[in-house]
Amino acid sequence: MLQRFRKLREAGVLGMNTRNAGIIMTFNPRSRFPLVDNKVITKELAARHGIPTPVLYGVIKRHGDIKKLDSITEGRDSFVVKPARGSGGSGIILVTEKKDGAFFTQSGKKITMTDLIQHITDILSGIFSLQGQDDSAIIETLINPDDVFASVAFQGVPDIRIVVYRGMPAMAMVRLPTRSSDGKANLHLGAIGAGIDLASGITTTAVHRSVIVTDHPDTGNPVSGIKVPHWEKMLLMAARSLEMTGLAYVGADMVLDRDAGPLLLELNARPGLAIQMANRSGLLKRISRIDLAPDEAFLTPESRVDWAQNHL
Amino acid sequence: MRRPALVAAAALMLISLVVAAYKVFSLGYPLVPSAPVYVWNLKFEGVLHGVGKNTLLLLSLPSEEHGQIVIEESIGSGNLSFSLLKEYDNRIGVWSGKTDERGEYISYRASVLFQHKGATVPRPPPPGPYPQNVSVEDRMAAMEMTKEWLLLNTPSRLQTVLRFLKKSDINKPGDNNIARLEEALTKYDNLTRLLMLLTAVNIPSRTVEGLSLSEGTTDRTLVWVEAWTGQRWEHIDPARMEGIPAKSLFIPLSAGGMSAVRTSGGELTQKRFDLHRSIMSRWLPFLERVNRSGRFLDRWSLFRLPPEFQQTFRILLLVPLGALLIGILRNIVGIQTFGIFMPVLMALSFRSTGLLYGLTIFAVIILIGYMVRRYLNRLKLLLIPRMSVLVTLVIFCFTLLALIGNKFGFREFMAVGLLPFVILTMTIERFFVVVEEHGMKTAFQTALGSTVVAVTTYLFIGWEPLQITFFVYPELMLFIMGLQILVGRYTGYRLSELVRFRSFTGDG
Repeated sequence: MLQRFRKLREAGVLGMNTRNAGIIMTFNPRSRFPLVDNKVITKELAARHGIPTPVLYGVIKRHGDIKKLDSITEGRDSFVVKPARGSGGSGIILVTEKKDGAFFTQSGKKITMTDLIQHITDILSGIFSLQGQDDSAIIETLINPDDVFASVAFQGVPDIRIVVYRGMPAMAMVRLPTRSSDGKANLHLGAIGAGIDLASGITTTAVHRSVIVTDHPDTGNPVSGIKVPHWEKMLLMAARSLEMTGLAYVGADMVLDRDAGPLLLELNARPGLAIQMANRSGLLKRISRIDLAPDEAFLTPESRVDWAQNHL
Repeated sequence: MRRPALVAAAALMLISLVVAAYKVFSLGYPLVPSAPVYVWNLKFEGVLHGVGKNTLLLLSLPSEEHGQIVIEESIGSGNLSFSLLKEYDNRIGVWSGKTDERGEYISYRASVLFQHKGATVPRPPPPGPYPQNVSVEDRMAAMEMTKEWLLLNTPSRLQTVLRFLKKSDINKPGDNNIARLEEALTKYDNLTRLLMLLTAVNIPSRTVEGLSLSEGTTDRTLVWVEAWTGQRWEHIDPARMEGIPAKSLFIPLSAGGMSAVRTSGGELTQKRFDLHRSIMSRWLPFLERVNRSGRFLDRWSLFRLPPEFQQTFRILLLVPLGALLIGILRNIVGIQTFGIFMPVLMALSFRSTGLLYGLTIFAVIILIGYMVRRYLNRLKLLLIPRMSVLVTLVIFCFTLLALIGNKFGFREFMAVGLLPFVILTMTIERFFVVVEEHGMKTAFQTALGSTVVAVTTYLFIGWEPLQITFFVYPELMLFIMGLQILVGRYTGYRLSELVRFRSFTGDG
């Protein structure tokens, strides 16, 4: 057993205890957490730092503002309604069509304006935030996922997670929805995680429910060897999270839109450890390498991406 | 970064060890407080109503002659005067004086330590005289009849007497002597019959009045007969003419036939005896007797708490240990649990329900709760009303369980108590969230983890030597705190991560 401990250490695997006590507590000041917990704030910050996010149609913060919904959705056929503090994808409605004054979701379910108002009321009351705080509803543009992952995603929108340490992209993966994950890009629920080579932006190995896989279980297509478009831009967006939030260890979640390109969805101050399995590589190894980087490598987001691509 | 934590942990451990060492070496505390010793707190109270000028109350008190060590005693006598009297083996407290119209409240309290078997060798007394009210002819009849029994050894002689008195074994029907003896015996009550026959067969005996050694309140004393069989006193219940098993214990108050509570010129009402057990290690009676005021640390010992609170603290002092255990199991082993302290609280509630029932009750209520919570999710309720519905559900389940338990005689179902309803409610909510976010498999793993931790904690806090150790040395809590800090700085891999990251170790 001790030998297995040593192997983990040699592989530079980051364990839960080191992540919590050694990294998050040291590098992520508690006071900055609200910046990433509320997606409205994250969006505002991102805009200030030139990081694209899905186009915001409007935010409803108070029950009194619900009447603005009409003007927000005016002339739009598709949009997304989601809670600013939601987690795990709960409380999100994707409207894909508008016909005769009623809305329709992707699956064809009809939603009237009254339904939508009721849903927003629920969001504002904090039903989808686990701690029950008052919440705001975000209405933003619907993502049209880029076709690059079409062959290896079962419904849903694949998202790209880049773990950033001290502003340097340390590791990346793409999460591909499967039938068993119910179209959600959530590894716990059975989505595939495929590692991405930082230098080339090409997918490498993949993991599905902690088993190494090569093909997507539903589509049967190989998940490795896919070149992610706009890769450099995505790395740069992720690297800017340091200036944006002051958090030195974050997971940046992004999507690739067919027209708008990479968009930042949210930042996570406690990114999980599964990314290591997807890449078959230890995070701690990369973190300690980043710690040895020369000071000038940390100066700008561009220099950080450059260093990471050449050295990790 | 690691240093300050190490220093803090080391300091805490050092302080606790120094205090404990001082207690051991300087105050003579036992290093290993072994098997618990029980101290019985006896309380007697009543209201004495006098009719004349001089009212007397004579109460037999615990005494060393009866194998009891009185550690502490106090007397409440109101306006009456109190004195102590020695009467044969008995120590008697005498309250005397004039009571007012409403009567005088008198009380007596003592902490009594029982000497274990072999601590004192009881002196064999001479065979007692016949009870005074037995006539000479009857005495003769008894001696005549039991002549042959004298050939038996003492224990079988005693058995023969008992069997005879139970009328279960008269082996010589038609014998004149027996008929005469039986006739003679009918004149007396059970107690006299027994004493009479024991005297006739030369077995030393005495009547003893006292209390059954069990916790509770009673207004009556028990009377039993003790017969000397050569090595020890055999206890006999005169009502049933049977030996009382040696393991049932009594506090003898008065030996030799005198009543334990006697009054003259008045009447005692609202009489009651109260017995309570508290635990004490061997050293304390000694210490108390030698040095009643005690040193500073002795005076601030938890043993000075009223006994009913001592029990609470014995459990409470082990909760930090439970918390440490959770830290170890979660952060070093990597077992998932619902909430942080939920397993400790679960373990505490198992103390009233027992392990098996407790686990079953938890499992059933959580499953029911989960179904309801799923349904509630569709109603989209606000957080607080949602939790209120769950609390109501949990308490509704408790009520049902109690009613079912009452109907079918499962006491444990009624013992759910107040503690676990909050935890159950939170657990249902957590269970639901885990199922939603991480799937059913993780939820069941977490439930299993919580159970393992709760059961481990339950076993730990129920372990009596450990309870006593912490009760004697509460400063050990600082030591636990130090360990907790060390666990908090453990940044190595969890055991579970060996499995999780097995693809890196090459055997997965």
